[in-house]
Amino acid sequence: MLKIENLTKIYDNGVRALDNISVDFADGEFVALIGLSGSGKSTLLRCINRLIKPTTGRVVWDGVDISAATDEEMRLIRRRIGMIFQQFNLVKRSSVMTNVLAGRLGYTSSAWSFINHFSSEDKTAALNALERVGIRDKAYTRASELSGGQQQRVGIARALMQDPELMLADEPVASLDPATSHSVMKYLELLNKEDGITVLCSLHFLSLARAYATRVIALKDGRIEFDGLPKDIDEKRFKDIYGEDAVQVEIH
Amino acid sequence: MNFFPTSSRSALRRLFTIGFVVVVFVVYAYGFKVTDVSLKETQDPTRQSSVQRAMRELLSPDIFDQDTTTEDAFANVQKECTGTATEQPAHDESQPYVQLSPDCGARNDIITVEGFNFPINSTGRVFLIRPSGERQPFDLVNDTGNTIFDIDGHGHFQTQIALPTLRGDAGSVHEIQVEAAVPVGLPYFSGTTQTVIEKMVETIFLALIATTLALPVAAFLSFLGAHNLMRDIRIPLGNVFIMIVLLPVGWAIGQTLLGAVGKLGLDLGSGLLAGIGGSVAAIVIFGSVTRGMSRAELKPQGIEGRVREIIISVLLLVLIVFLLGVIGGVGLWLSERLTDGTAGAIGYFLGTVGELIQLIIYPLAGVIGAFYLSSMGTNLTTNVLKSVRGVQSHIAGGVMGAVVGGLVMAGVGVIGSMAALFTVIPPIVAGILGGAILSRLYEWRFEPVRPLHRSRGSFIMLFVGAVATFLITANVLDVLHIVVVGRLPSPDFVITSGIIGVILGAVGGALVGLHASFPMGDVLYNITRTILNALRSIEPLIMGIVFVIWVSIGPFAGVLALTLHSIASLGKLYSEQIESIDLGPIEAIQSTGATRLQTIIYAVVPQIIPPYISFTMYRWDINVRMSTIIGFVGGGGIGFLLQQQINLLRYDQAGVAVLAIAIVVSVLDYLSASIRERFV
Repeated sequence: MLKIENLTKIYDNGVRALDNISVDFADGEFVALIGLSGSGKSTLLRCINRLIKPTTGRVVWDGVDISAATDEEMRLIRRRIGMIFQQFNLVKRSSVMTNVLAGRLGYTSSAWSFINHFSSEDKTAALNALERVGIRDKAYTRASELSGGQQQRVGIARALMQDPELMLADEPVASLDPATSHSVMKYLELLNKEDGITVLCSLHFLSLARAYATRVIALKDGRIEFDGLPKDIDEKRFKDIYGEDAVQVEIH
Repeated sequence: MNFFPTSSRSALRRLFTIGFVVVVFVVYAYGFKVTDVSLKETQDPTRQSSVQRAMRELLSPDIFDQDTTTEDAFANVQKECTGTATEQPAHDESQPYVQLSPDCGARNDIITVEGFNFPINSTGRVFLIRPSGERQPFDLVNDTGNTIFDIDGHGHFQTQIALPTLRGDAGSVHEIQVEAAVPVGLPYFSGTTQTVIEKMVETIFLALIATTLALPVAAFLSFLGAHNLMRDIRIPLGNVFIMIVLLPVGWAIGQTLLGAVGKLGLDLGSGLLAGIGGSVAAIVIFGSVTRGMSRAELKPQGIEGRVREIIISVLLLVLIVFLLGVIGGVGLWLSERLTDGTAGAIGYFLGTVGELIQLIIYPLAGVIGAFYLSSMGTNLTTNVLKSVRGVQSHIAGGVMGAVVGGLVMAGVGVIGSMAALFTVIPPIVAGILGGAILSRLYEWRFEPVRPLHRSRGSFIMLFVGAVATFLITANVLDVLHIVVVGRLPSPDFVITSGIIGVILGAVGGALVGLHASFPMGDVLYNITRTILNALRSIEPLIMGIVFVIWVSIGPFAGVLALTLHSIASLGKLYSEQIESIDLGPIEAIQSTGATRLQTIIYAVVPQIIPPYISFTMYRWDINVRMSTIIGFVGGGGIGFLLQQQINLLRYDQAGVAVLAIAIVVSVLDYLSASIRERFV
């Protein structure tokens, strides 16, 4: 159970990215966050694992106040929250294997990391994670040599290594073509259904949200504009979220 | 035509332009005067001829030698033609001989020199024999700038010289020598060339060693000097207090305990077998103790987990220090046994490494102890500090602030009492504290809602507080007097600084409490950058002078000077590289729960390796260029040779050195460029 209470984030330049947001997420949900660019989707996701420190308000996960955790507590919380990114954020010069193993860093002592040591169990787990996203054969290629879709799958494998209970996906398919987008979304759906991982995924396309999400939350100017089932977003709601001039674009 | 523009604004602008041109004109006019630009000097004929001669010699470098056999003949010349015939030495028609016409004359008179029976197809030179016995070569009049002429196939030559000022009275007789040289065998590299090559090798190694020594230090500092990594590091003030208090304690413990371990390693290592046995035993013990411990996953930290982590990390540190000691000891052992030839060089190197380890093992142990205890102590006390709330947090803040403030200011006072100029450092630090306190007081009193950015009032208070505290502290410490007189401060200086620190720390700590977030990253960043910038602004030549005083004339002084300068400039270049990396991977690695150290190892390091290699190559290239002149102040390398040659006016030899520098620098330039291209 993830509770967000009165969360506000004001950036140093004065932009109010989140404005007093309160919302609860139940375990096992697949939530799509939609809204225009700059509506606060990325900020909300980053406040949950505290890549961004909220200005006021609390994020409480299973009774633990994330916003007040010390650095060390944060380490223990973060390793249970996987995250994937629009730009994949792989270390491009490192091998796919190293990138996936990096997902295990939260469980590894710093001293071992100094000599780049991972246990053999971790290495087996990494190969299995790559197997699950279908690119085991790429384990020892450089991350930069992969296509966009493959890189995002490495990102998912990295997050899988954390044994996450919650997955944050920050526009995971915005840099991908439609066909690849669907394959990446299918992997997320699989994690949600098979492993029972709660997924919070920000998306640009409403059609993707309709296809995969069990719940849609629309943000506008840092506030929640809509919170409900995907099918409840009709033409009027759509115009409320995206503005009068917006036209729905389908992605198949 | 309209001379007066309609709008006064454009008139103002025109006036401004004219004023600007006038100012520029005046600046350059003054610049000419200051820099003594003089066209007269450049046209002075004697200077022109000297520079021509110097340039000609520079560009006729003494690269090759060829053995010659010489034959010579003498003739006499009389100062002023007094009417009496000049007595000429008797000559055999089968031997070389010389005729002068005329055989007397005043300064600048032209004399034709004709020779017969010289070795055929050889080269000759004409010398005036000075009363001291020194030979002075003549420039040839008919062949400007040359001193050497050809002797033809009949052993005959004719050339012209101009008489210089001859010493003695009119009528005195001076001897002129003509020397013909016949080459024997093939040309070979001259002694000068051989010395130059030897010194050039020394120069290249000097640059290499300096670059290599600077690399790890600069790489470490570059992380502290990278704003994007440091700016987000904010730590609760209470943790900072604990950290600082534990630093000296850890230093003491580390020096005694860890230092003893290192010393043990050294002692065992210098007995070789004992050292090897000891290290194997140590590694086995470490392995067996930590086996299972490290493999088990980090559980949510209970007491047991913490204790286990502490045991592992302490053991690891002990092992590292011990092994370092053993390496040093073995190095010393080997250096006593390897003394000849190449093995001798290796032995010397290992011995130096051993001595270095011997030298640094205690301070190193102290530093490790300080940082370890400090970070461990901070970790363990975080939760306790977090639970202190309300007024208690301010009281505790005041008490701890007093202790830490005193420690810090006393430490700064110790630095300050090293040199007269350094005495301004304690007032500066006090000023920063005072400014922060006053602005915080203002915000607390007048700004119920903390604004996003520092308000103007708070900024003014920051400035006023800083200046006032600086002035008061400087006055109490008598800094102005110390700087003016240039003497070292009295021992009281440290104590007084400490007391000021206690006061400021207590007030500041009580004001903000234990939970105020302290911009640790910014502080470290600013300190690192200030030191790097200060170091970088001092030319290596000046550093060279200091090091020559310390370690005496020789390449080692040059190595140290270039190392220090390379640390500063590489540190800056490296940190700028870190500042331009892609932040995405950092975000991703952080979100997996990695520690700050792990984030750096996995997200930052892979991104900066190529630029680091490229900048290091570039620096080596620069160091070779710099080490060619570091010798001018006694720093060894080819510069030392070049300076001697120039002082002895041997421009032909200096030419060889200059040529060698040009060749090596351009080759290295090309090499480093092509290597860099491959990596970026």
